[in-house]
Amino acid sequence: MIIKDALIYVGKAILFGLIMAAVIIFILPLITGQSLTNGITSRVSTSSSELSFSKAVRRAAPAVVNIYSLSIDQSKPLNPGSLQGLGSGVIMSKEGYILTNYHVIKRADEIVVALQDGRKFTSEVVGSDPETDLAVLKVEGDNLPVVPLNLNIPARVGDVVLAIGNPYNLGQTITQGIISATGRNGLSSGYLDFLQTDAAINAGNSGGALIDTTGQLIGINTAAFQIGGEGGGHGINFAIPIKLAHSIMGKLIKNGRVIRGALGIGGEAVGPVMAQILNIPDLTGVVITEIDPNGPAAQAKLRPRDVITEFEGEPIPGVEMLMDRIAETTPGTKITMTVIREGKSYQVPVIIGEKPVHYN
Amino acid sequence: MKTKLSILSAALLSATLTLAPAVSQAAIPLAVGGQELPSLAPMLQKTTPAVVAVAVSGTHVSKQKVPDAFRYFFGPNAPREQVQERPFKGLGSGVIIDAKEGYIVTNNHVIEGADEILIGLHDGREIEAKLIGADAESDIALLQIKAKNLTALKRADSDELQVGDFAVAIGNPFGLGQTVTSGIVSAMGRSGLGIEMLENFIQTDAAINSGNSGGALVNLNGELIGINTAIVAPGGGNVGIGFAIPANMANNLVQQIIEHGEVRRGVLGVMGQDLNSELAKGFGIETQHGGFINEVMPDSAAEKAGIKVGDIIVSVNGRSIKSFQELRAKVATMGAGSEVEFGLIRDGDKETVTAILGESTQAAEAAAGAVHPMLQGAKLETNDSGVEITEVAQGSPAAMSGLIKGDVIVGVNRTKVNSLKALKSALEDQKGSVALKIKRDNTSLYLILR
Repeated sequence: MIIKDALIYVGKAILFGLIMAAVIIFILPLITGQSLTNGITSRVSTSSSELSFSKAVRRAAPAVVNIYSLSIDQSKPLNPGSLQGLGSGVIMSKEGYILTNYHVIKRADEIVVALQDGRKFTSEVVGSDPETDLAVLKVEGDNLPVVPLNLNIPARVGDVVLAIGNPYNLGQTITQGIISATGRNGLSSGYLDFLQTDAAINAGNSGGALIDTTGQLIGINTAAFQIGGEGGGHGINFAIPIKLAHSIMGKLIKNGRVIRGALGIGGEAVGPVMAQILNIPDLTGVVITEIDPNGPAAQAKLRPRDVITEFEGEPIPGVEMLMDRIAETTPGTKITMTVIREGKSYQVPVIIGEKPVHYN
Repeated sequence: MKTKLSILSAALLSATLTLAPAVSQAAIPLAVGGQELPSLAPMLQKTTPAVVAVAVSGTHVSKQKVPDAFRYFFGPNAPREQVQERPFKGLGSGVIIDAKEGYIVTNNHVIEGADEILIGLHDGREIEAKLIGADAESDIALLQIKAKNLTALKRADSDELQVGDFAVAIGNPFGLGQTVTSGIVSAMGRSGLGIEMLENFIQTDAAINSGNSGGALVNLNGELIGINTAIVAPGGGNVGIGFAIPANMANNLVQQIIEHGEVRRGVLGVMGQDLNSELAKGFGIETQHGGFINEVMPDSAAEKAGIKVGDIIVSVNGRSIKSFQELRAKVATMGAGSEVEFGLIRDGDKETVTAILGESTQAAEAAAGAVHPMLQGAKLETNDSGVEITEVAQGSPAAMSGLIKGDVIVGVNRTKVNSLKALKSALEDQKGSVALKIKRDNTSLYLILR
């Protein structure tokens, strides 16, 4: 009897509970506006039209050009010449300025630029900078497509990027990846500035665009990590950040070359051993190891083993910082450096010279 | 008290039931920092069972001519050629496109020359496949397996694809087992690569390697957009440049193979070249892409449709085309008798014409091995009286059966045969030995296929 009572009691509760549950399950979606099971399926069935980079591609891709060299066979004067694929370039302005890599155009006698709409232009070289591997070309044309640009968006590791170029002269190709690493932004020298990406970059992509998912230019694709000349495919590729490329472009347009200051020294960071030998208190500064006998440093009577600790009153922590400060100074400018020699500190005035350009 | 308790327990039970799904849902991290984490896993659960491994084995026959100087040593009856046979095995991928019929699409180069084709399904089953038909020029082949509980891929309209769309490759690279790689559509309408006779590729940076051939390229909805076919590989492996045959083109070919057992190439009857900026300038036109018509064949589909020399074909069935090669690939894979609308520019004005594609007058080659294993190595062509053998590869099963070039197959056992299709259906019902009735130099003879 007790068992029966208990069963009825439990049975009633279960029955009532089930009914309530059914009612709540049925009503709850109506209240919250969505089915409970939809939480999982909705993200699966996201339509492909929303998830595509086609908008970014449409904005940027027309401004990425194919660059060819026109080689004319002297022995066949009637032959119009053949086009050889060299690389890619990016149209930066309505005036027809095109950014590309120096290594793309350095051996070309005559350069032909081909737009994606089929137009072809012969182009002149405005200027080249072997140090950053950049060159600026110019074409004369109407209604040139220009790449969207925002210099104030920094590229971050993990950002999705698209590379646009003409690998193996197949025709325009878009590849996708992320920013794998970033260097320092806005500085004038050295390879540390590169953006690293795993978007596929191959021979012929050089000089082409690296864009973000809104179509804005963030870099100029320059190199692929290679082993034994086997070609790329390792997912380790490099691009010059747009901030640096843009500032180099401005200088090339203005002067035809990048004018960099030079001091005429070789140096290295002050390590613990060097600090002890030279009897200096801390490890900041650059110790001079070599002096160009005709350079500005020699003229200012600087010697090897002198330690440069300040440049125009600004402390110098290491070699890169000093190199950047010197490079950014207009040749002919008189600057003051703090130098430690034999444990004593001196203020040394130096007239910065111009760094010679080697077009290799 | 009792009622109170029962209401309480009812409330508890209902709360547990309603909250249960919410709790299990919370176990999956759907979002990080308020943003949904994308994963292809739910889509792939539905699509990967439709992609299969294709293992083939067969014999490569290579011929080496015996130099005349050495023929002396072997006597006057020595063979002119030395035939070498080398067994081979190959691996590739395939896509189930019809679960009920068991149809599987793959590349022709995956199964070419194979005596045996074994399909490895996602669930571990291994089933022998039959070759239904193949087209070497476009590199498409259709296989069939008899199996239950198959999963097929739905086909997307590959003409709707845009550069920048996500693409996912599913296949069996290096025989490692099923592998999924992701990327985007890098370019459309890629041609002029010299990989196939008919090229109109989707280019992708999703990693494709040896063994991926014949596998699927799908969109984010898990629909088939292409058949992965080739890569540019300077170092042997993937560098982010892969090519897939568009799903629409593959489908056109497959439909022809299902219907006729072979591809009936559509012919427009034009010759031409890519429109380039010089031509465009010369003709004073704005368009920079298209197929420029140099020549229209008399009595061709093009002439009947009113296509003229100097026309620039800019679209096929409303889809713009970039090059003459793309036009060629599209037309050739559409099938004889298809009604096709061409958009063209004539004297600067846009026009549309409709053509009914003619049938290729060239040898309608079929994969003879698909008709009967002992016919492998022969090229077959339907002519007025029957099926003509236009070529026989030395040392092939067809040659061993006694077939020689110029033979015309007119019957199978007592059944008359007047076309490739008739030959195929006549041979299909036969088990064991078959007698082929052959016409050779005005005489009739029977050859036995075992």
